[in-house]
Amino acid sequence: MLLLALLLLITAGCGKEQSSQPAESTAQNGDVTLVIGAYSVVKDAFSELLPQFQTYWKEQTGQKVVFQESYEASGTQARAIAGGFEADVAILAMEGDLDKISDAGFITHDWKSQPNQGLITKSIVVLGTRAGNPKGIKDWDDLTRKGVKVLYPNPKTSGGAQWDINAIYGAGLKKSEEETGTKDPAFAKKYLESIHHNVESLDKSGRASMAAFEYGVGDVIVTYENELLARIMNGVKYDIVIPKNTILIENPASVVDKNVDKHGTRKVAEAFISYLQSEEAQRTFVKYGFRSVDGKVAEESKDKYTVPEGLFDISYLGGWKEVRQTLYSKKGIWYQVLAGI
Amino acid sequence: MNVMFRSKWWSFGFRSAIMLYFIVLIVLPIIGIYSQSVSRGFVPFWESISDPLAWKAVLLTIKLALIATVINVLIGTMSGWVLIRYRFPGRRILNSLVDLPFALPTAVTGLMILLLLGPGSLVGELAEKLGFTIVFHQPAIVIAMVFVTFPFVIRAVQPLLEEIDKSEEEAAYTMGATKFRTFFTVIYPSMLPGVISGAMLAFSRALAEFGAVVLVAGNIPGKTLIAAVYIFGEIESDNAQGAAAVSVMLLTLSFIILWTVNLIQARRPGK
Repeated sequence: MLLLALLLLITAGCGKEQSSQPAESTAQNGDVTLVIGAYSVVKDAFSELLPQFQTYWKEQTGQKVVFQESYEASGTQARAIAGGFEADVAILAMEGDLDKISDAGFITHDWKSQPNQGLITKSIVVLGTRAGNPKGIKDWDDLTRKGVKVLYPNPKTSGGAQWDINAIYGAGLKKSEEETGTKDPAFAKKYLESIHHNVESLDKSGRASMAAFEYGVGDVIVTYENELLARIMNGVKYDIVIPKNTILIENPASVVDKNVDKHGTRKVAEAFISYLQSEEAQRTFVKYGFRSVDGKVAEESKDKYTVPEGLFDISYLGGWKEVRQTLYSKKGIWYQVLAGI
Repeated sequence: MNVMFRSKWWSFGFRSAIMLYFIVLIVLPIIGIYSQSVSRGFVPFWESISDPLAWKAVLLTIKLALIATVINVLIGTMSGWVLIRYRFPGRRILNSLVDLPFALPTAVTGLMILLLLGPGSLVGELAEKLGFTIVFHQPAIVIAMVFVTFPFVIRAVQPLLEEIDKSEEEAAYTMGATKFRTFFTVIYPSMLPGVISGAMLAFSRALAEFGAVVLVAGNIPGKTLIAAVYIFGEIESDNAQGAAAVSVMLLTLSFIILWTVNLIQARRPGK
């Protein structure tokens, strides 16, 4: 009985990361408070980056920055900000989520015209296997094999998971292009279907999927490279398999105009976004497993990151607008795959 | 005269306060869900509930909730019986443990099931050897539902058992009835209302279970996706109307069940 109670205590302690609404601020006169609305994946990297920015800003202006941080799944965060959560800066998993905030009228400038097209980090979609790769997974094709159990999150509940599905769908398109010379959407859909057939669990977010994999479920997880690298850095033994054809993940960040104007924090918010793109911050991101958007830092870290032969980006699938229409609309390809039609 | 007048007003005020409370807390949100579900007209409403993924999720939920209810009726009745009729060391502690599933956040329940029955655990490996998996498949969902709804039947049966007139039972014995016959003709009929109402509460609660199930189910549409998780998915993909439409299915079902139970119990003679 005591053992069980103890177990419960432990498990309660390491439950899912809670959605931390901003902690109370300790702003005094002369201090400036910056409200950050971010997606949960950057949390670890931010624990190092935020103090760095504090020092930097103090040196520059003598002002002390106080952060209020909120980390949520990207889609949830976007909806929160669009619904009135007063974040000064938004750091999200994908373009579509920033667009939600723009559409709600909170971002009024064209964030894509910022340096690096408004992106702060990159990564790729990869396959994670158990240590030593016991099932001999080498590429997407192996995921269609009988008896291979696959994990990926549900793109319906997790916007970030759309990258994973895009990668599979795009790899199918690439394959058909290699074989027949033209992109064949029907083939790509079949490809996605045959992998989906082996899916063991369709979790509600990338983090939940990773957690399930950690509990010993499944043979392969389809996820971001940075997620796996972060786990490996923490001492968990996984193998990373980089498929030949995969998608480049791009994570944007932007100042939320309406909120910074209201709070009078535009200057520090803009400085924060450009700080995230500075070499120093980019090196920190690289340390946490992201690929850099900065040319110089990317060059330095090229030993750490192989560029797969058939790497494509979202424009290969026709851009986000097209992808949302064909894949994730109400009766789109994803729905058809789930319903088996 | 004066006293009566005052007490009349008192009772009127009291009743209105309760009615208001009831309307604000229960009736309004439910009306809200119903009106949300048809907010874009009846055609989208029909499309939402005739979606194969949606009704498959609802059917699966009903099926698994039924299984969980049957298990709870059997185990719950027995536990209630044992806790009332027998005296043994640790009975009081056991009796207070019964309510714990209510106090535990359901996500913790899910996590516990994952750890205790998942791959790598003793039970998980044993099941794997026997050729089936518990976690991320339907058995895990049933276990989660059973755990969460465990107290209902026990708590509904216990007071009735305590009320049973010992002399009726003794009379049955004196008249030569066997233990078996006494149980089914004297004791069981008095327990039955408790068993039924407990079962119905358990069933309704199991239909709606989310926190534990989302962790232990694979959530694959058509296979392991239950209604509550389906609804969550619709909310997350900005389809509030679709989510409300499926909720309405569940709500209506629960309402019909609870109402039927009330009717049955009202018709029972002497109750």
